[in-house]
Amino acid sequence: MQVSRFAIPLVAAALIALSATACIGQAAPRLPGELAWTIGYDPKTFDPAKVDDQESELVRYLTAGVLLRFNRSTQKVESQLAESWSLSADGRTVAFKLRTGLAFSDGSGLTAKDAAWSIRRVLLPATGAPVAEEFLSAAGVTVETPDERTVIVHLPQRVIGIGKVFDEIAIEPAERASEGRVTAGPFVVADYRRSQYVRLRRNPHYSEPDSKGAGLPYAAGIRLDILDNHEQEIRLFERGEYDVIDSLPPDYFGLLKQKIPNAVRDLGPSLNTEQMWFNQSPGAPLPQWEEAWFQSQAFRVAISRAIHRADLARIAYEGHATPAYSFISPADCAWYNQAITVPHEDVPAAKAALARAGFRLNGAVLEDAAGHAVKFSILTNEGNAARFKMATLIQEDLKAIGIQVTVVALDFPALIERLMHTQDYEACLLGLENVDPDPNAMMNVWLSSSPNHQWNPSEKTPATAWEAEIDRAMNVQAGSLKDAERKRAVDRVQQIVADQQPFIYLVYPNALYAVSPKLEGVQPAVLEPGLVWNIEKLRLEGTR
Amino acid sequence: MRSRIAALWLLCALVAMAIAVLALPGRSYSSQDREQPLAGASAQHPAGTDGLGRDRMVRVAAAFLLSLTGAILASAATTLAAAGVGTLSAFGPAMLGRLAMLVCDVFLALPWLFLLMMVRSALPLTTSPAHSAAVTFLVLAALGWPACARAVYRGAQELRNADWMLQARAGGLRGSQIVRHVLPNLKPLLTPQFLICIPAFIIAEANLGALGMGIGEPLPSWGGMLLELDNSAMLLRTAWVYLPIGLLILILLLLEAIAVEV
Repeated sequence: MQVSRFAIPLVAAALIALSATACIGQAAPRLPGELAWTIGYDPKTFDPAKVDDQESELVRYLTAGVLLRFNRSTQKVESQLAESWSLSADGRTVAFKLRTGLAFSDGSGLTAKDAAWSIRRVLLPATGAPVAEEFLSAAGVTVETPDERTVIVHLPQRVIGIGKVFDEIAIEPAERASEGRVTAGPFVVADYRRSQYVRLRRNPHYSEPDSKGAGLPYAAGIRLDILDNHEQEIRLFERGEYDVIDSLPPDYFGLLKQKIPNAVRDLGPSLNTEQMWFNQSPGAPLPQWEEAWFQSQAFRVAISRAIHRADLARIAYEGHATPAYSFISPADCAWYNQAITVPHEDVPAAKAALARAGFRLNGAVLEDAAGHAVKFSILTNEGNAARFKMATLIQEDLKAIGIQVTVVALDFPALIERLMHTQDYEACLLGLENVDPDPNAMMNVWLSSSPNHQWNPSEKTPATAWEAEIDRAMNVQAGSLKDAERKRAVDRVQQIVADQQPFIYLVYPNALYAVSPKLEGVQPAVLEPGLVWNIEKLRLEGTR
Repeated sequence: MRSRIAALWLLCALVAMAIAVLALPGRSYSSQDREQPLAGASAQHPAGTDGLGRDRMVRVAAAFLLSLTGAILASAATTLAAAGVGTLSAFGPAMLGRLAMLVCDVFLALPWLFLLMMVRSALPLTTSPAHSAAVTFLVLAALGWPACARAVYRGAQELRNADWMLQARAGGLRGSQIVRHVLPNLKPLLTPQFLICIPAFIIAEANLGALGMGIGEPLPSWGGMLLELDNSAMLLRTAWVYLPIGLLILILLLLEAIAVEV
C-alpha cells in the first residue's frame, strides 16, 4: 500500500472534482415539437399486458388506448375509446359501447373484436399480466362482442373500482401484439436504445380531437432519457433540455426555486407515506426478548409518541412533507378520517407507558424487565437522503427515552432479501407509493395472509385479534355495495392501525414537481403520472 | 528537514485545536440543533451546522481525531505485522520465506476495496458506531501489511547476508539476540512504511465512508461528511460544506510532507 507523494491529495481533490462534474452531461438531440424528460431505468417491457414496473407503466400510459381513463385530476373514470359504459346493478356485468371511426396507429380499424381480444389476453394465465389479479378470479371472467361496437364483460364476482381496472388494459390489434409499436393511444414506441432513451412518436390516427376540433396530441413526440442522476437531470432541466421533473427531491426544490422561481410546484401532501415498523414475525431470527418488545402494543405506541414528526417533515423534507399518523393521506379526501384518535408526540407519556409495560431506566439506558438494554437497528435503503435523515433524527429522539438505535442503509436487493426472505432485521424505515386513492388497492398490505403484510408476512391465521378485525373490515369494504358501509370499515381500520401502530407512520411527502415555463397545458395532479397525465394536451410554447 | 518539522508542528497544532473544540462545554458531535439545520457561521456554531443541525466544527474535529487515531493505530499494527512476517521470512527456512511472500502477493492481488466492503457489510446490523469504527481500521490494518512485509523482507534479507550478521551468527548469536540487533537496523525501513500507511488509511476510510460503508451515524467520519459534496443544492447554500474536504487535503499534505522527509 505505497503511495506517491502527490497521489493522496490528488485523490482527495478528485472527490471534489467528481462532485462538481457529476452534473456534466449531454442529452440526445431534441426533434422539433418533441417533449423530453427522464425515467430512472430501462422499462422492463413494452408489452402493455405485462407491465409490472413504474417506467413500463409510464410508457403504457403514454402509448395505450384504453376503453376507460381514470382522470388523475378529478379522480373520476372517463370514457376514452368507449363512447359510453355501464355497470349492472349487481356489479358483475360491464358493458362498453365503442366510439365510431376508431383506428390504430397503422391505420387499421379498431373494433370490439380487438377490445375483447386484448381483455382476454390479459386474463390468460400464460400472459402473466399483473392487472389480471385485479379481477379477483380472472379465470371466471368472460367477454362477448354482440356487435362491432359492443363489448360485454361478465365478472364472477363484484370488483371494487372496476372502471379503473380498464384504465390499465391497452387495446391492441387482435392477434397482433406489437409491444407499443401499433397503438390506439396518443403515441407509439418509435425507438429504444438501452440505457439511453425511449422515443415515442405521435399517433397520426389518434381519434380524440380537442374542444376546438384540432388533432391531439399536440406534441410531435416524446423522448424519455434513461437517467438515474438527479444532479444531471436538474442541470439539464435548467438548460432547457428537459421539460418536466417528476418527484423532485425536497433539497433540490429550493435550489431550483431560486434559479427558476416559476418552474417548481408543491402540490401539498401526496398519497404516499413514509413509515417505520418493527419485525413481529415469529419466524424471525431475533432474540426472544426483542420479539416480545416488538409484539408489545405499549412499546410500539411509546416509540410512536417519542418521535417528533414535525421535525422529520421540517428537517428531512425541508418543510415539503406533512406529519403522518394514518395510511390514508389528507390528499385522499374521500377516505381520510380526521376523527381518529392518534398517539401524538408526548415524550413523558411515552416514558410512563414504557414504565407501566415493565421497562425501566438504568442511568441513561432503557432496560426491559429482565435487564436487557433496549437497542435495535433501523434499516433503510441507500441513496434516499430524506429517509436516512429521518432515521438519524429518530435515533436522537429515541436516545431521549434511553433507547440506542443503529441506523443501517442497505442497497435495495440486500434490503429486500432481509425483508422478504430471511426476515433478519429489527426495524425498517421505508415508504409506500400509493397510485390509487381507493383503500381497496391496499388489500395486499392489510390482509394478514398477504406476503406484503410487512410486520408479519403471510400469516396462516391472524396472529392477533386486532389483525383479525382488520381482515374482516378490509373484506367488508371489498365486498360491500354501499359506499357508507365501505367508509365505516376503512375508518375502523384506520383507528385500529392508530391504536396498535404496526406501521408507525411518519410523514406524507409532498408532491414536488418542476415544469418548464415553456410547457403549456400542464395541470399537475398528485396521482401518477402527476405532470403528464393529460399528455395529449401538452406542448412547448411556439409549437403547433 | 525544516519543512518536515513545520508540517509536524502544524499537525500538532491542528490536533490541539481539535481537542480544544471537543473539550468546550456543551459540545457534542451528535446533538442536533433542530432550529438551525444548515445554518451559516454564528457565535454558537462557528462553522455552521449540517443538514441535521449538528455543529460542523465539532464534527470535523471529532472526525479528524478519530480518523488520525485510528489510522495511527492501524498503521502501527500493520507495520508490526509486516516487521514480524518480513523478519521471520528472511531469517527462517527458505521455504517459509517463499511461502510468506506468495501469501503477500496473493493479498496484493486482491481487490482490497471490495474486500473491505464485504467485511463491513458482513457486520451485524446492531454493530455500534464505535465498534464499526474499530472494525473499519482493524480491517484496514489486516489488509495493509503485505506490501510493507515485502519491503521488510528485502531489507531483512540484506541484513541476513551482511558481513557483520554472518560474523555474529558464526559467533553463536541466538535467535532472540539476532532479532534484538535486526530490528534497530530495520528502523530506517519501518519508519517510512509506518508514516506512509497513515494517510493511506485515512483516505481508505474516507473512501469507505463516501460509499456508505464506513463509520456509522452519528459518529462523524470524513467519508460521511464528504457525501454532502454530492449534492449541488447543499453546495450553494453554505460554503462551510467545503470545510471537511479542505481540512482533509491539508492533513494529507502534512502527513505526506512528514513521511517524504524521513
